Amino acid sequence: MDKRMYQLVAAAAVLLFADPALAGPTKAPRDAYLYIGWPNDGQVLPAGKPFRVWFGLRNMGVAPKDVKFPNTGHHHLLIDTELPPAEEGIPSDRNHLHFGSGETETMVELPPGRHTLQLLMGDDKHIPHDPPVSSRKITITIR
Amino acid sequence: MFREISLAALATASLTLAPAAAAGTPSPPNAEAYIIWPPDGAVIAGGKLWVRMGLRNMGVCPKGVELPNVGHHHLLIDTELSTDGQIPSDRNHLHFGAGETEARIELPPGKHTLQMLLGDHNHIPHDPPVHSRKITITVP
Repeated sequence: MDKRMYQLVAAAAVLLFADPALAGPTKAPRDAYLYIGWPNDGQVLPAGKPFRVWFGLRNMGVAPKDVKFPNTGHHHLLIDTELPPAEEGIPSDRNHLHFGSGETETMVELPPGRHTLQLLMGDDKHIPHDPPVSSRKITITIR
Repeated sequence: MFREISLAALATASLTLAPAAAAGTPSPPNAEAYIIWPPDGAVIAGGKLWVRMGLRNMGVCPKGVELPNVGHHHLLIDTELSTDGQIPSDRNHLHFGAGETEARIELPPGKHTLQMLLGDHNHIPHDPPVHSRKITITVP
């Protein structure tokens, strides 16, 4: 085996062993469906006015943080950011809003421009499920 | 005398019962439950629909878990609202004790009413009760 082959084997081994860690320890139903009920993708909203975001969830339930109950989680709204690594806790900052009290909607105000919104469920410890339950990412324009 | 005693006993009993009946789990005064979808007056061909249950200024939590400012959804179909005691569990009172926020239902042809009522960890309405307006939908 030449050096390149070793590297390939090593890479394959890393992938194999890393794979189970790519998801959190809490199982989610295979048919869980998370979506943003409002606003719609491509929507244009007026600046300087807070708007409501509806969290839609099917085939799964909502539970506040720290509550362990099968097939539940709590909502996180990701604003202008990518999905975080699935095996880690969801960050808590202005791009990752946590709804640990079991909220199912929120009011948001964003500066003028294009913004992305995406929902991600977290388990009792704010870690994405296995498989991760996330919505489609939508883009809205504030002007 | 006996009569007086039993009257007094009755009065005491009702006095002690009354606060117990009113003392549900407190809800935030601005809490609001509402049916996001369908809208009042909707006509649903086929009678199969998802009901989206909306809640403001309060959170959703599965049954059996006691936390402040949370509850779980109940969908009342073709029935009157009663906020006394435990919410019945039957085909007119659907419980969503696993924290569900949407309900898949199927209704026969005719006019139907839908109303939401939040229950606490013991399926008892809050104080004050948190419920939606009652809407009417039609299945042709």
